[in-house]
Amino acid sequence: MNDLRVLWLPLATSALAILVLLLDVMSPPPVRGASAPPAGRMIGWVVVAGLTALLVASFFVDSTGTAAAGAFRGGPWTTFLGRVFLAAGILGALGGMDDVAERMPRRQGEYWLSLVSSIVGMTILPGARDLVLAVVAFELVSIPLYVLAAYAKTDSPPGNPATNGLASEASLKLYLVGATSSAITFFGLALLTGMAGTSRIDGLGAGAMTPLGALGLVFVLGGIGYKIGMVPFHHWVPDTYQGASTPFVAFLSVAPKAAGMSLLAVLFTSGLAAQRAIWVPPLVIFALVSMAVGNLLALPQTDLRRLLGYSGIAQMGYVLTAMAAADAFGLGMTLFFLAGYVVTNVGVFLVVHVAAQAGGGYGFEGLAGLHKRSPWLAAALLCFLLSLAGIPFVVGFWAKLYVFLAAWRAGLVGLVVAGIVLAVLGLFYYLRMLQAAYMVDGGDLAVPRPGLPLRLAIALCLAGVVGIGLWPAPFLDDAMRAGHDLLDHRPAPAHVAVAHR
Amino acid sequence: MSSYLLSLIVAAPALAALVVILLPPTARMAIRALSLAGATVSLAGSVVAFATYDKAASGPQRLESYPLVPSMGVRLSFAMDGWTGPLLLLTGIIIFAGVLASWKLQNRDKEYFVLLLVLVSGVFGVFVSQDLLVFFLFYEIAVLPMYLLIGIWGASHAVPARGPFQVVWKRFAVGDKQYAAMKLTLMLLVGSAAILAAIFALYTKSGATSFDLHHLASVHYDRHLQIVVFPLLWLGFGTLAGVFPFHTWSPDGHASAPTAVSMLHAGVLMKLGAFGVMRVGMVLLPEGTLFWVPVVGAVAAINVLYGAFCAMSQSDLKYIVAYSSVSHMGVVMLGAATLTTTGWNGAVFQMVAHGIMTGLFFALVGLVYERAHTRSIPKMGGFANVMPGVAAFFTLACLSSLGLPGTAGFVSEFLVFLGAWNAGHFLWAIPGVLGAFVTAIYVLKATRAIFWGAGPSEEFHELSDAKTTEWGALAILGTCLVVLGVWPRLLLDHIDLGSVTYLTNLLPVVVGAK
Repeated sequence: MNDLRVLWLPLATSALAILVLLLDVMSPPPVRGASAPPAGRMIGWVVVAGLTALLVASFFVDSTGTAAAGAFRGGPWTTFLGRVFLAAGILGALGGMDDVAERMPRRQGEYWLSLVSSIVGMTILPGARDLVLAVVAFELVSIPLYVLAAYAKTDSPPGNPATNGLASEASLKLYLVGATSSAITFFGLALLTGMAGTSRIDGLGAGAMTPLGALGLVFVLGGIGYKIGMVPFHHWVPDTYQGASTPFVAFLSVAPKAAGMSLLAVLFTSGLAAQRAIWVPPLVIFALVSMAVGNLLALPQTDLRRLLGYSGIAQMGYVLTAMAAADAFGLGMTLFFLAGYVVTNVGVFLVVHVAAQAGGGYGFEGLAGLHKRSPWLAAALLCFLLSLAGIPFVVGFWAKLYVFLAAWRAGLVGLVVAGIVLAVLGLFYYLRMLQAAYMVDGGDLAVPRPGLPLRLAIALCLAGVVGIGLWPAPFLDDAMRAGHDLLDHRPAPAHVAVAHR
Repeated sequence: MSSYLLSLIVAAPALAALVVILLPPTARMAIRALSLAGATVSLAGSVVAFATYDKAASGPQRLESYPLVPSMGVRLSFAMDGWTGPLLLLTGIIIFAGVLASWKLQNRDKEYFVLLLVLVSGVFGVFVSQDLLVFFLFYEIAVLPMYLLIGIWGASHAVPARGPFQVVWKRFAVGDKQYAAMKLTLMLLVGSAAILAAIFALYTKSGATSFDLHHLASVHYDRHLQIVVFPLLWLGFGTLAGVFPFHTWSPDGHASAPTAVSMLHAGVLMKLGAFGVMRVGMVLLPEGTLFWVPVVGAVAAINVLYGAFCAMSQSDLKYIVAYSSVSHMGVVMLGAATLTTTGWNGAVFQMVAHGIMTGLFFALVGLVYERAHTRSIPKMGGFANVMPGVAAFFTLACLSSLGLPGTAGFVSEFLVFLGAWNAGHFLWAIPGVLGAFVTAIYVLKATRAIFWGAGPSEEFHELSDAKTTEWGALAILGTCLVVLGVWPRLLLDHIDLGSVTYLTNLLPVVVGAK
């Protein structure tokens, strides 16, 4: 019974996935030539409702404890991240609903199934305390995403061949890079396991670090680095963002990144805490180059999706900055940043998507005159961009502030100074987007008319960005509690080592 | 009500902005009325706060404190002291006059008033904040709307490319409003980055429990840290105060900005910078201040003189006023660098005096430009014949600018130079006085060229004098200049209390060093 309670979220999400599968199978087959069957859209709403119910339930179910003979441990840490993933799922599902129904009407059921499966993996990942479980969860997160990235490949409106090619490229890049990175990660994990003599994460750091173990550690860091788009493993990011369908990218740009970060935290900050002397220096360097490369390469971009891709790389650099603090405060701030990043980045991608749908395309010109065509959309974009740039009163201000503060407190003064300077540099391209939306005449571009789900998604993002920005205290406290939970509830390393040898 | 007075002053413009957002853009009168109402509430609140400040008790009063992020020691805490009252008053007057001056705006007025009100909420917030992080937060809120305000409603004005850098000049479209807006925003935010680093350093060293300014001031930071951190605060805030050589955003920004934005920016926002240097940098870091003060004073003297010479060589009316702001802000920093009560009184008084004077200047420049459609002085002349009222007010602003006794400008410059002289800083005082002399040359030259002499030429015969709401703005600002000039004690009694309070933190160090 206890196991069920601790594992309720992964189990309930799996149940939702099965429900989606059943609904898809049982819904009448689409008629050729007919417009979108209503069943597909209905399943989308079921996904949204299910995920929302789970999000609400997460405030009432206490999942603290261990399950599966210690392979999974629930607590504030898993709860916080679970909510982040669920929120990203809800926003991603709402954002993608119309796009899926229009562009791939005959395969909607599978789309939702893949999405929910990926979220199942995400809900397991932060709680996994055994490498085997972590690896399974990690792949469960990734594999559906490869499929989803290629979803725009067919069924897209005829006469738009470019999209198809880009979607294939997007998916293939994501898949090849992802598979390679998985292989590298697993190789590294194998080395670490061999060194420690246990597959339990809490026991990984028990022994002295051998050169082989250190090599494994670097492999794992690199492998996860691919997933989160950390420089120098970032090359897939802009291409995939550009090629895949944008509402899906909104989800892809936040949830899997948060999942990768959670694995990084569980493995390194928690499991290999004793070896921090080995992994913190490379992490600092990766954080620095991510911020530098992301911000610098975003400057010349003309396609907003690519620009946001590079901006995302820079944002991951900020997260790594907090992670490099390697303490509970840093972890808490990592979580807070990620939570804020979900609402911000999904929001900005959806606004760009809506504006592009109105006929302007994905360049800066697509945003032209947005203030006139749709003042609310422009205002939302303003808030999202300010949040990405870290300006008050939006969530990004607090996120960036505390990320840097965490690193500063851990003594990484140089990294913080470089980060702050690069963040100001980043402001330039966010302001360019703002300039396009507010200061350029839109000419005869159409008024964007997003459907209800998209409007709902953008409104929710806006509420999150402004709401958390005005009243960050409860979220910060929750994030702090989660960070402490991960670090404070580890079995004593020596004890674990004895038990397993 | 009175216990929430400071919150009310800060929140009123923001709340007005919130309601304006919900209004349809066609409700033009309602938008203006609401904006004016927001500004009026803040102004009235500032007057009440100023008038009821208990001078006998001095010290911080009307404390308000609300937890914002309790676990990190961030509190939304407001209070007012001797300095706050006059500065609130200044902000209230300028925004009130600014709304009046923007009354006739035609283009996208709803967004304009929203941004203007949000900005001014930020300014009020900075002046009353007692928590360093909240101070910074409001500071950012005050700075950023400027990007949109200049970028959307500003005026582009081609500056012919000249000199060895003309390729770069063309590439960045110098004189373009987008260029000015981006330059201003990026430079000010680089300054913010330095401030943020300094805040981290102070917060961490003070035990990482609270951002409260009184708490931070009670901690003794070691000398080395103070010496490293002070320049971050000086240059970070100083960028906004137009400290040489980081003043270059100011002429471009002010020249491109629409009238009310120039008024607010030169009149109030630049004061935030100087206020930050004094209130945060000097008060929290006495040893760092003492180490750097020769540089601060010397740079301020350069500011005064360099700004004046730059202003003298301009032919664009707005650039003249913008460079004169750089010069006058040098006077503020010079007063701050004396570390004497007289000098600090002069510095804060100059903030108010210059704020009102430059507000009046920009309002007048806006009026002239609106009617004549040119800012180029050589094309003007004899305007006094067609717009006598404007000419009179312009002359008044000029007289205050050059420090004529009986105007507010005289009081502050006199106090600052007296403070510098008494403290033995002849090397700062002499260039400072020289700067004031050069100021007299360029403002009088400009006044003569625009308003007096023969004319106006054929094309300007139809120019009209100021009208209804514009008279309101001019009258308020002009009256303040004269009142403060003949009755400076009105403010100085307050300012002195603030200076004494803050200097007590510094004095042991200053005396110890001597």
